[in-house]
Amino acid sequence: MKQRWRKVLPNYLFVLPYLCFYVLFRLGPDLFGFFVSFHQWEVLGDTQSFIGLGNYLALLHDSLWWLALRNTALFAVLTVAGNLVVGLGAALLVKQNIPGQQFFRVVFYAPVVLSVAVMAAVLQKMLDSQYGLLNYFLAWIGIPGIGWLANPNLVIPSLSAGTVWWNFGFPMLIFLSGLLNIPDHLYEAARIDGADGFAAFRVITLPLLKPVLLFVLVTQFIAHLQVFGQMFIMTQGGPGYASLSTIMYLYQTAWQYYQMGYASSMAFSLAVLIFAITLLNFRLFGQRVEY
Amino acid sequence: MQAAARASSPVASASRVARKTVRRLPLYILLIPMALVTLMPVIYMFSVSFTPEADTLRWPIYVIPQHPTLDNFQRLLNDPTLPILRWMFNSLFISTSITLLVLVVNSLAAYGFARLEFPGRDALFIGLLTTLMIPGQVTLIPTFLIMHNLGWLNTYNAMIWPAGANVLGIFLLRQFFQSIPRELEEAAIIDGSSKLRTYWSIILPLGRSAMVALAIFTFLSAWNDLFWPLIVLNSTQMETLPVGLTILTNSNLYTRQGETMAAAALTSVPVLILYAIFQRRIIQGVMVSGLAGR
Repeated sequence: MKQRWRKVLPNYLFVLPYLCFYVLFRLGPDLFGFFVSFHQWEVLGDTQSFIGLGNYLALLHDSLWWLALRNTALFAVLTVAGNLVVGLGAALLVKQNIPGQQFFRVVFYAPVVLSVAVMAAVLQKMLDSQYGLLNYFLAWIGIPGIGWLANPNLVIPSLSAGTVWWNFGFPMLIFLSGLLNIPDHLYEAARIDGADGFAAFRVITLPLLKPVLLFVLVTQFIAHLQVFGQMFIMTQGGPGYASLSTIMYLYQTAWQYYQMGYASSMAFSLAVLIFAITLLNFRLFGQRVEY
Repeated sequence: MQAAARASSPVASASRVARKTVRRLPLYILLIPMALVTLMPVIYMFSVSFTPEADTLRWPIYVIPQHPTLDNFQRLLNDPTLPILRWMFNSLFISTSITLLVLVVNSLAAYGFARLEFPGRDALFIGLLTTLMIPGQVTLIPTFLIMHNLGWLNTYNAMIWPAGANVLGIFLLRQFFQSIPRELEEAAIIDGSSKLRTYWSIILPLGRSAMVALAIFTFLSAWNDLFWPLIVLNSTQMETLPVGLTILTNSNLYTRQGETMAAAALTSVPVLILYAIFQRRIIQGVMVSGLAGR
């Protein structure tokens, strides 16, 4: 027995450094955050008052939270839809074996490597209603200045379109890798049966790509529910509260009003929501995936 | 099309080339405008950064600057309230430190999980897997409070050490290490070399491509991060480039556009260079592992 431990113990040393970081900066904080969410937590206070489910109940009656949730859901749905369509379209184009193939792949993925701070700074300038480049181009074809970020009904779709520009290269590459995994002989067989072009796309590509589509759908939806930088930089949640996102509201609650307990309850509510969506997505689409 | 037909002499192959070109034409008609639209904001950013401030708000817009100048960069570098060189150093130092930390800690653990036997190994690994289901936002507030209690707010410590808890790298490296043939290690163990030596002289060299991919993606996401530095750093001197850029963007919408775009350009150039050098690896890495998901 002792012999065995002597052999096994050094093996733990390989994972030990990581586990320390993991407990200190991931598992520990997650549990601690759960604890904080049941308190009225003051950053500088000595004692924190326990208020049970108080924060969660307050959240249920917080109209700004529900508005933020609605804005965020709309943003995520539009962005994921845009990313799926543009990403899949681009993937089908750059899959073709043509000169410049790698060049186009590199160009389409390039915005993904930029920081959200850069992307938002440039888009804010381009989408400006008076001096923006987009309205300048639209003026050529006779469309007068549109308040992309100033109109409460346009602001979420505009932020979403900007995010698709910034981000579609990522789903494109995931789709591309899925497309390249579909064996060529299936397309040849389909051609012999008379299915070409769009018909082949419908009967071969789409069904076989279904697992990849599901993966992109779920991961992208979860990622975009956590949107923050675009709003924080381009609109500060405005005009009014028209583009306030849940994470932006969490940020304001925690770091402008220093209500750490309340903000923690937001984080956990969002986490539960994200978890539920993941499960739902797999239940709805997961079963019908066939290879 | 005709040029292509004339270029090759045998008639059969000439018509094949012509057919190919015709078939490809619609592809390029879609691809080229799409590439232009994708690059437009980036081109425009660089263009405005070389445009004199007086021209940035004129109409009609000069898409290409008529009087290109380095004024914006000069004013940016000479403004003591915007220490952009310090921000650049901060970004570089923090991102490099995070990358090294993640590489060391993750590769040791990944080797442990991939190859070494110890009680509770699989349970631990499944535990880590479960963590991936928890969105990162949950961790922000409590980690901030921990940084506060440690007295680490507004220090490099607060920026660097929490990154050591990165889970994704363990999965990536573990999977790759498992694909290395066991015989190579067994030979080394018979030779009497220790586990640490096996890790160092066999696993690491053979796992180099996965390590490089992890390093690139870790560096990029550390360099681009906005939220964490925004909350744990609070003096102008300590900021990273994305946060510094945000200060500039939020406060000077119509007055310092040239400087803002110059700062955006300086924030992007290092990652664009990195991207240009490692484009094949980055694209391969995303396709194989789904890394860098946003």
